[in-house]
Amino acid sequence: MKPLQAIALAAILAAGTGAWAADAPAKPMKMDEPMHGEMKKQSMKKGDVKKAAKKKERELKPMIEKETAGSAKK
Amino acid sequence: MKRRTMETSLAGHSPKLIRSIERRLFLKQGLSLGALALLSGCELTDDEGVQRLLMGMSGLNDRAQGWLFNPNKLAPEYPESAITKPFPFNAFYSVDEVTLVDGKDYKLELEGLIREKKPWTLPELYELPQTSQITRHICVEGWSAIGKWSGVRFSDFLARIGADTSAKYIGFTCADDYYTSIDMATALHPQTLLTFRFADQVLPPKYGFPMKLRIPTKLGFKNPKHIMSMFVTNEYPGGYWEDQGYNWFSGS
Repeated sequence: MKPLQAIALAAILAAGTGAWAADAPAKPMKMDEPMHGEMKKQSMKKGDVKKAAKKKERELKPMIEKETAGSAKK
Repeated sequence: MKRRTMETSLAGHSPKLIRSIERRLFLKQGLSLGALALLSGCELTDDEGVQRLLMGMSGLNDRAQGWLFNPNKLAPEYPESAITKPFPFNAFYSVDEVTLVDGKDYKLELEGLIREKKPWTLPELYELPQTSQITRHICVEGWSAIGKWSGVRFSDFLARIGADTSAKYIGFTCADDYYTSIDMATALHPQTLLTFRFADQVLPPKYGFPMKLRIPTKLGFKNPKHIMSMFVTNEYPGGYWEDQGYNWFSGS
C-alpha cells in the first residue's frame, strides 16, 4: 500500500472509531435478559443466540471440513 | 426503539410498495388463519409434528422462491433525498450493547469451497473496487427504511477468492453471534454488496462495522452485520432466525 493510502485508511478507521465513541458507549450484552425486537418469541433471551451459534458450529464444522477435503482431492 | 404503526411506517411510500406489503400481510395473516384452523386445540409452539409440518411448508416456499428469483431483476434504487433519517437501528439487543470490533486486528476468515482461504484485513478489503447503492431495507417486522451503502460487489469478491459458485449456499458468522446463510443466486446478484460504508462514512458499529452484507432483494434479517467469517457449502447452513421458523429464502 502507498504511504498516502495508508494515511487515508488510518484516518478513516480513526474517524469511524471516534464517531462510535461519541455515539454510545458499548456495554457487555446482558445474556439473561429478554431479546429486543419483534422477531422473538416471548421466552427468548439474548444469550440464546450465542448458544445456538455454538450448537450450529458443532453441527456444521465437521460437514464442511469433510466437504472441503473431498473437493480438494478432485 | 419506538414502535411505529403501519400507517406511520408506510407514509410517503409508493402505492406499489404499499400494495406489495399489504399483499404480504394478507398472505401472512391468511396462512396464520389456516394454520390456526388446522391446529385448533394444539399448542402451536410446542407440538413437534406441527413444527415439522410448518418447516416442511417453509422449505417448499424456499424452493418456490428460489425458482422464481430472477438474478437479473434489480431492486429499486432511490435518490439521496429519499434517504431515511435517522436510519433505524434493529437487533436482538439494545444499541448500547452493540458489539465493537477492533478494525486494526480484524481479519475476515474464509472456509469451505473456496480456493484462496487467506484471511482478509480491512486495508485489503478497502482496496477492492467499490460501488454505492441507495436501496430500501425491508424488515420482516413491517417497517422499511432507505439507506446508502458502499462496498465491493459480492460477486466480484467471490470471484477474487475463487469461491465455488456452483455450490448452493454461503454462510456467515458475526461478531454478535448472529449467523445466517443465503443462496448462491442471490450472492451473485449485481446489487448484493459486501459493504464497508454507510451514508458515505465508515460503517458505524450500530450498522455493522466492519462490514455488512447488503442484499436489497432480501428481508433485513438476511443482511448480516459485523461479519467475521464466511463459508461456501452445499450443506444447508440455516441461520438463527431461520432455525426458529422464519422463512430461509425471505426475498423482499
